[in-house]
Amino acid sequence: MTSLTVTDTIITQARSEGRSLLSEVESKNLLVAEGISVTDAQLARDATEAVSFAESLGYPVVMKIISPDIAHKSDVGGVVVGLTDSDQVKSGYDEMMRKVSSVASTAKIDGVSIQSMAKPGIEVIIGATTDPQFGPVMMFGLGGVFVEVLKDVSFRVVPLEPRDAKQMVREIKALPILEGVRGQDGADLQALESLLLSVSELIERRPEIAELDLNPVFAYSDGAIAVDARIVLHSQDGV
Amino acid sequence: MAVDRNRLERALNPKSVVVVGDKGPGYMWLSNMSEYTGALYSVQVDPNEIPGIEEKNIPNFSSVTEVPGEVDLVVCAVPRQIAPIIIGQAIEKQVGGVSMFTSGFAETGEPDAIELQKKIVDACVESGMPLVGPNCMGIYNRELGVKFSNQQEQGSGSDLGVISQSGTHGIGISLGSQRLGMKVGRTISIGNAVVCNESDYVEYLIDDEKSPIVAMYLEGVKDGPRFFSALKKLAQKKPVVIWRGGGTDAGARAAHSHTASLATDTAVWDGMIRQSGAIPTESLEDTLDVLAALVHAPACAGLGTALVAMTGGQSVAITDQFQRAGFDVPELSQKSYDILGEFFVTIGGSYRNPFDAASTIRSETENLEKILEVLAEDSNIDGGVAIELTTAGFDKEPERLAAQLDLLAEYRTKTNQPVVAMMPEGGAVSGQTEVVIAARTAVSAAGFPVYPSFRRGAEALARTQDYWSWRYSL
Repeated sequence: MTSLTVTDTIITQARSEGRSLLSEVESKNLLVAEGISVTDAQLARDATEAVSFAESLGYPVVMKIISPDIAHKSDVGGVVVGLTDSDQVKSGYDEMMRKVSSVASTAKIDGVSIQSMAKPGIEVIIGATTDPQFGPVMMFGLGGVFVEVLKDVSFRVVPLEPRDAKQMVREIKALPILEGVRGQDGADLQALESLLLSVSELIERRPEIAELDLNPVFAYSDGAIAVDARIVLHSQDGV
Repeated sequence: MAVDRNRLERALNPKSVVVVGDKGPGYMWLSNMSEYTGALYSVQVDPNEIPGIEEKNIPNFSSVTEVPGEVDLVVCAVPRQIAPIIIGQAIEKQVGGVSMFTSGFAETGEPDAIELQKKIVDACVESGMPLVGPNCMGIYNRELGVKFSNQQEQGSGSDLGVISQSGTHGIGISLGSQRLGMKVGRTISIGNAVVCNESDYVEYLIDDEKSPIVAMYLEGVKDGPRFFSALKKLAQKKPVVIWRGGGTDAGARAAHSHTASLATDTAVWDGMIRQSGAIPTESLEDTLDVLAALVHAPACAGLGTALVAMTGGQSVAITDQFQRAGFDVPELSQKSYDILGEFFVTIGGSYRNPFDAASTIRSETENLEKILEVLAEDSNIDGGVAIELTTAGFDKEPERLAAQLDLLAEYRTKTNQPVVAMMPEGGAVSGQTEVVIAARTAVSAAGFPVYPSFRRGAEALARTQDYWSWRYSL
C-alpha cells in the first residue's frame, strides 16, 4: 500500500531526528497520501528549486518558510502569497531569507514550501487532539476571531459517525456564516462533514498522531480544501 | 476491574445486610435501614456501642464471618485503619459486595492513605469482590428499603435510577425527585470508585429494570473510552441525564496546536455527552427539571404545542419561551376555531393559540374539557399542552384543581402527548406561600411535570423532545 509507505516514511524520518512536530510539507504530504484534501506543498531548498516547483504547479503560488524552530511563520515574515511569475518567486525567496534570518537568526532553515494558491473561501478549522480522559477527539470551528476570541468550537470523540460530523458543523454559533449571509455563497457543509469523517478515520488508523490542525480549511460552495496543516506525533514511548 | 455481575447484582439488591461499625447515639446506618425488608445484622466490637444496637433488636456479632447465612451487602462505617480487616472478613464470608462509607483514603492525597486504599483495592480485585466507594454514601434501593438517608422512601415501583460521584448530590437528586412525585428505584453513591467504577455502574444500568431513566452526577471518569462506549449503549436504550460538575474552561495545556489549546475539559465533556445521546444538565434544579419531563411526560417528538395561559401578558410570555426553546405554537384548524368560537369568552380572552383562558375556564371546569377535546382532535398539535395553573382558592376548594388535573390526565392518555403544568410567580399563582407550595405539590403528586417558570418548563420539555426525536431516528 503506497499510502502507508509515505506515512510510515514521514513518521520514521521525524522520529529518527527526535522530532514530534512535522513540518508543513511533511504534514501535507502525509495528508495527501492519506486521501485528505489539502493544497499540495513542496519543499524547495533554494531559489532555483522554488522557481522550478512554482513553474510546475502554475501561478499564482504561496511561499512559506520551513523551519523546525519557527511556529508562527507570518510573525517573522515567513509567508508570502500571490507570487505570479518566476522573478517574483526568486526575489520573494531572497527577501524571505533576509527577513527571517534577521528576526530569527538562530533558527535552522530547511527551505521554503511552494504551493499553489487556493482561491479564498470561508475559513474553518478542523483539528484533532488527544484528551487525557477520552483519548483522541476532534474539533470543528470557524477560523480567525471565532476560534481565537469566541472559542466557538465543537468537539466529539473519535471515531465520528456521520451524525456526529453533521452536529459538529451545525452546533457552532457561527453556523449562519457557513450557511451564507448577505447574498454570499454558503459553504458546502457536506464537504466539511466528509473532511471531518476522513480525518477521524486517519486518526483511528494512525495512533502515532497526537495532534492535528487543518487551519485554515477553505470552504467553498462546492468542496473544501485545507491550505495549512500541522501534525504533532506522540513521543515514541507514548505510543 | 472486570466486576462479577452476579455479585454486584447481590450487593445492589441485597436480601441480607450487615452494618459494620455503626455508632450511637443516632446509629445512622441502622436507623436508615428501619424499613429494610431483608435480614439486617450488625457487627460492632465496641462494648459502649453494643447495648444501643441490641435495644433496636438487631442481632450483633463481633465479625462478619460470624453472621449466619448468606450476606449480600456489607455497609462498612469503621475508622479507616480498621477497613482492611473488615474487607478481609467480607472476602472470607464471600459476601455479595461491600459499600464503604469510611473515608480518608486517596482523596486526602496523603501517601499513607493512598497506600491504605491500595491495600483494600488489591484485596477486592484479587478476590473479585465488588466494592462501592470508599468515601461514599453507598446504596439506596427503594423496593427493598436499603437507604442512606432516612428521608428516602420505601415502596414499589421505579421511575429512575441515579449514579452520583458526590453523596450530597446523590441525596439531592433522590430527595428532589421524590418531592416532584418521582419514584427513585435506586441510587448508587460511587465515591472514589476505585474497584467498581462509573463504567461498571453504567454497564449495569443498561439492563436494570429499576432504572428506566438514568440520572448521573459525575466529575471525572477513570476510563474515558470505556465510559463513553457504555454511555452510548445506555442512552440508546433509555433516557440519560448527566450533570457534570467541576469542569474547567482553562486551556488544556501547553500545546503545539490550536486544537489542543481549545480542548478544555468542559468543551470535550460537552461534546462527549451530546455524542453519546445523553442529555447534559448544569445544576441540580436543571437535572430535576429534565427528569420531571422525562418521567411525567410520555415520549413524544412532536414540536407543535398548545399553550394555555390565564392572562394576555402570560400568554405572550409563555409563547416567547416555547418558541425560544425551539417549539412551534401553530394556529389551529378552522374546524377547531369554529368549535372554540361557540363557547370561548373572547372579551378579555383569546383562543388562537396561545390561549388567554382565565375568563373561560376559571369557574367552568367543563370548558377546559371542551378545549382539550378540540386540541386532541387537532392534528397541528402534536407536541403536547403547557398550561398555566392557578393556585387561587386551592386552600378552600382543592377539588377544582383535582378536576382540572383529571381532565389533563385524560388528554395525556388519549393523545400520548406531554402535559406540562406551569405555576410561575405572578400571573395565576397567588395566595399564601403554604398554599402555593401545597398546590404545586398536589400537581407533582398527580404525576405532572410542574415548573416555577415558563422558561424552565420550555427548556426541560425541549431537551426531552430532542432526546426522543433522536431515539426515533435510530
